[in-house]
Amino acid sequence: MRSALIAALLLAAPAAFAAGDTATDSADWGGDAWGGDSWSQDQSASRLHGFFEAGIGARIQDDPLLEDDLTLGETRGRLEWAGELGSARYSLKGDLYADAVENGLHGDLREAVLSFTPLQQVDIQAGQQVLTWGTGDMLFLNDMFPKDWKSFFAGRDESYLKAPAASIKGSYFADSFSVDLVWTPLFESDRYIDGERFSYFSPLSGGYQAAPDGKLSADDPDDLPEDGELAARISGLSGATEWALYGYRGFWKQPMGMDSLGHAIFPRLDVYGASLRGTLGGGIANAEVAWYDGKDSGGDDPLIPNDQLRLLLGYDHEIVPHLTGAGQYYVEWTQDYDALRRTSAADYRADQFRHVLTFRLTWKLMQDNLTLSWFNYWSPSDQDYYLRPQASYRFDDHWTLSGGANLFGGKQEHTFFGQFENASNVWARLRYGF
Amino acid sequence: MKTLLQRVNVLMLGALMATPLMSAPLQAADLTDVQQIVDQANLASYYQGKDGRSEVRMLITDGQGREQLRQFTILRYDVADAGDQYFYVAFSRPADVRDTVFMVAKHVDRDDDRWLYLPGLDLVKRISAGDKRTSFVGSHFFYEDVSGRNPAEDNFELISTDDSFYHLKATPKDPASVEFASYTLAVDKHTMLPMKIEYTDAGGKLYRRVEALEVKEIQGYPTVISNKVSDLRSGGQTLMQFGFMKYDIGLDESVFSERSLRNPPRDWLRRPQ
Repeated sequence: MRSALIAALLLAAPAAFAAGDTATDSADWGGDAWGGDSWSQDQSASRLHGFFEAGIGARIQDDPLLEDDLTLGETRGRLEWAGELGSARYSLKGDLYADAVENGLHGDLREAVLSFTPLQQVDIQAGQQVLTWGTGDMLFLNDMFPKDWKSFFAGRDESYLKAPAASIKGSYFADSFSVDLVWTPLFESDRYIDGERFSYFSPLSGGYQAAPDGKLSADDPDDLPEDGELAARISGLSGATEWALYGYRGFWKQPMGMDSLGHAIFPRLDVYGASLRGTLGGGIANAEVAWYDGKDSGGDDPLIPNDQLRLLLGYDHEIVPHLTGAGQYYVEWTQDYDALRRTSAADYRADQFRHVLTFRLTWKLMQDNLTLSWFNYWSPSDQDYYLRPQASYRFDDHWTLSGGANLFGGKQEHTFFGQFENASNVWARLRYGF
Repeated sequence: MKTLLQRVNVLMLGALMATPLMSAPLQAADLTDVQQIVDQANLASYYQGKDGRSEVRMLITDGQGREQLRQFTILRYDVADAGDQYFYVAFSRPADVRDTVFMVAKHVDRDDDRWLYLPGLDLVKRISAGDKRTSFVGSHFFYEDVSGRNPAEDNFELISTDDSFYHLKATPKDPASVEFASYTLAVDKHTMLPMKIEYTDAGGKLYRRVEALEVKEIQGYPTVISNKVSDLRSGGQTLMQFGFMKYDIGLDESVFSERSLRNPPRDWLRRPQ
């Protein structure tokens, strides 16, 4: 029954769109193309865009806690609309999707922003929006904007790794630097692994947990204004080198702590950091550092995370034409480790140094219509990994078929990636964009 | 490699950037100094005016006859003639690249700086210099074609001069860095625009051709407004057209910044009335 539904969903999107096809576009090239309508319409102030997509994915091994083998099963429609209001600009992007894993019809407002330039050197962008900064590739040090790990693990498009938040971003541009301030009045957490769709390891119970009984739920801090988030960046370009300083005041984006009653909480967190990115030997090198300053300054409170120093080094270079390779080294250095050692049980305690290496290969073939990519996280200290092979084929300007896998593994059941071994899955998606 | 691209480039964006070297072209006597021809062709192709704006579209046809379209608006600003330049490319279609922005700070004396803005992630990505010789958004043009190839990377010789063209041959100074062994250029004596560039591989076989199909005078600058690149091996080709082009619109360097990547400079991108 379930599989029949999925099959129907998969087929529905293509059928609905077979009617609107690319032939009309090509026809515009016939005569004097410049006077044609197709040129004019792209300059018009508003126009509807978006995509329809069907996706399916399944575990490659059983998860004893989750009956459902399906990890992705949805048809999704995205509509985008942008226009101008006087000198301001608005942009709306919304998703509606029928989800066979978390049963039901869901909406996701990806963007609803108003952008304007009140002064020549100032931009304001207010509303629901996705924001990104920092230099890491799938690793985030100073980027404290919300992530969607569920989508990432399930094989949704990579752009879903960033979740939207309702924020106001103000930017000031001077000659040699710029300042960005982002205020998110109501804390927006990550869409973290909470036991729905994927199970997780709970150090408290010493075992795996999954919804409904083991669903990890924590109340978002929601007092106005003190529970809002403030993120700042000062950045500039010096020669070929981009530099940036960052600050964040808010909370851990996942419920990393516990209150005295044993409820999961988002502990307070401030982050300070810096990054550099520039050209080196024909490639791009980046370095980023971040100080995670929590509320456990002595490191002896076992209920909330200790402070951390995080460091990232990366390098990206073309190996041969069409094939690009990139590697990163990342470390989380837990501070006051002796105090942590005294006050917490050894079994599931994180190492003092968590080292992670990532490697990415991107290979573009067939006039860029076929993209093969590989990305992996591998931690020699945790002895675990997360592999993300992916292939994507563009049939034409509208249709794209993608397939890939999310493969987790590790020696121990409690480590960062190792705990998701039962989440390992393969997936495929077919998209029609317009 | 670069050379190739660059040449191609010259044609392509050349169109965009039509040049002001008009005075030279009008002279009666043929030029005999190859460097002078190359320099003038470079200016004519890429450095017309102080800056420029154009809408561009590409029709990509593969060896099996399947077609794809690309459409974008491009802004260009010259720091100095025959010197550093900025390019800003904002895509409007197809759907999967709409609102993506590609920006290049082209340097004559070092590697170019290149950025890509991916709107779905709000991600400003830096692209390494190496992959400039790969397809520009799936077309038969290369990334480097968009921003021009440095003439200093090739050795040129003047093969012949006829009534209409200077015929040049170029060989790369660093053959390992490019996929061609040599290329020839037919430079229009009047406009100094390269009208045809043909690339030959190490086996002596012609495998790639870039042609200017239509030249139009815009604000006094002869400008290629239509050109074509043919991949003679696969039978694929990309046709490129320029429209709503305007020179000297008054851009300044600050337009080519991260601010514009994240928040496109709509006043500059707007079609001139």
